[in-house]
Amino acid sequence: MSAGHHDEKNNSIFKIATNLAAACLVSGIIIAGVYFITADAAAQKAVDLKNAAMKALVQDAEKFNPVEGKEGWFTAQKGGKTIAYVVPSESKGFGGSIKMLVAVTGDGKVLSYDITAHNETPGLGDKANQEPFKGQFKGKKAENLKVVKDPSDKENIQAMTGATISSRAVANGVKKAVEEVVEFTGGK
Amino acid sequence: MKELWDIYKKGIILENPIFVLALSLCPALAVTSTALNALTMGLTVLFVITANNVAVSLIRNFVNPKVRVPVYIVSIATIVTVVQLLLQAYFPLLYKALGIYLALVVVFAIILARAEVFASKNNVIRSFFDGLGMGSGFALAMVLIGTIREILGAGSFFGIKVMPASYDAPLMLILPAGAFILIGYLVGGCKMLVQYIEKSKA
Repeated sequence: MSAGHHDEKNNSIFKIATNLAAACLVSGIIIAGVYFITADAAAQKAVDLKNAAMKALVQDAEKFNPVEGKEGWFTAQKGGKTIAYVVPSESKGFGGSIKMLVAVTGDGKVLSYDITAHNETPGLGDKANQEPFKGQFKGKKAENLKVVKDPSDKENIQAMTGATISSRAVANGVKKAVEEVVEFTGGK
Repeated sequence: MKELWDIYKKGIILENPIFVLALSLCPALAVTSTALNALTMGLTVLFVITANNVAVSLIRNFVNPKVRVPVYIVSIATIVTVVQLLLQAYFPLLYKALGIYLALVVVFAIILARAEVFASKNNVIRSFFDGLGMGSGFALAMVLIGTIREILGAGSFFGIKVMPASYDAPLMLILPAGAFILIGYLVGGCKMLVQYIEKSKA
């Protein structure tokens, strides 16, 4: 240590505590200052990001309106008509819960999905958010959202190699979203 | 100038954080499944370690030696939190990609080690170069591990396919166990290199 000799007085518990408290105070002030400056921009960016994510799910949509009475639900609007629903869903994967946004048409067909948060194995389970696994969901109805390991079965979802649990979790999450939308719209 | 260059370059091979000091092996296993992840993590650590070395060097005369470690941790946590807030506000996509790894940087052994071993005893400029060198060594090691794991384990490099389609990638290298074995070989290789450098100097 550069601050070499400290006498008894300098090492009293009070001095030590003050020193640490001062460090924490300075840290708190710096973080509060940065937060004060960035909070608005961060909130704005979060909304932009969410809109962009929904736009990627439903490419034809012109705008998204929140659904009343359903937390986190959005309808995708085109020419004044609802073409799809974007709903959040969650399911239990290999490394904890997988959160996703699922785009479903009113008659219960999957358009696409986007995994927003997960803890799956890097390089294996996290491929669930990529092609070719993702593409398999397009146009599927709830009854075909079953994970199989038989490559000749084109009706259902093929599991990812080495990540059957993650595959199943994603399929279940999507299925739950589809069933909720069908229940909400009555399958129309 | 010569002295600063010496401080900088020792972090790259002779005192490489992962291969020689064997610090922060956990992220080296966990975050190197692809070259891109490894590079992002490496650059984040490079920034945090440099900033923290400067901060610790600046406050080194005010810190009571009995609480120096908690104070250094507070300093690292502050820098990481500020980086997190800034990324969230201005680069949300990068923030999303870094995910939980960013918060983990706070507890990386190598950052605290450099604060304790170097920055708390040296002036700001020397500490800056030490952080830069150690960070570069860390980033290089991460990218090396990530590149080997991605090419052999997934047949791609930065997400671009480099192996022929017939290449049957061994899953093992993507899993942490494969990384552990690989790092073992790389540590051995680095040891040979260090011995060679020292012999040719003598």
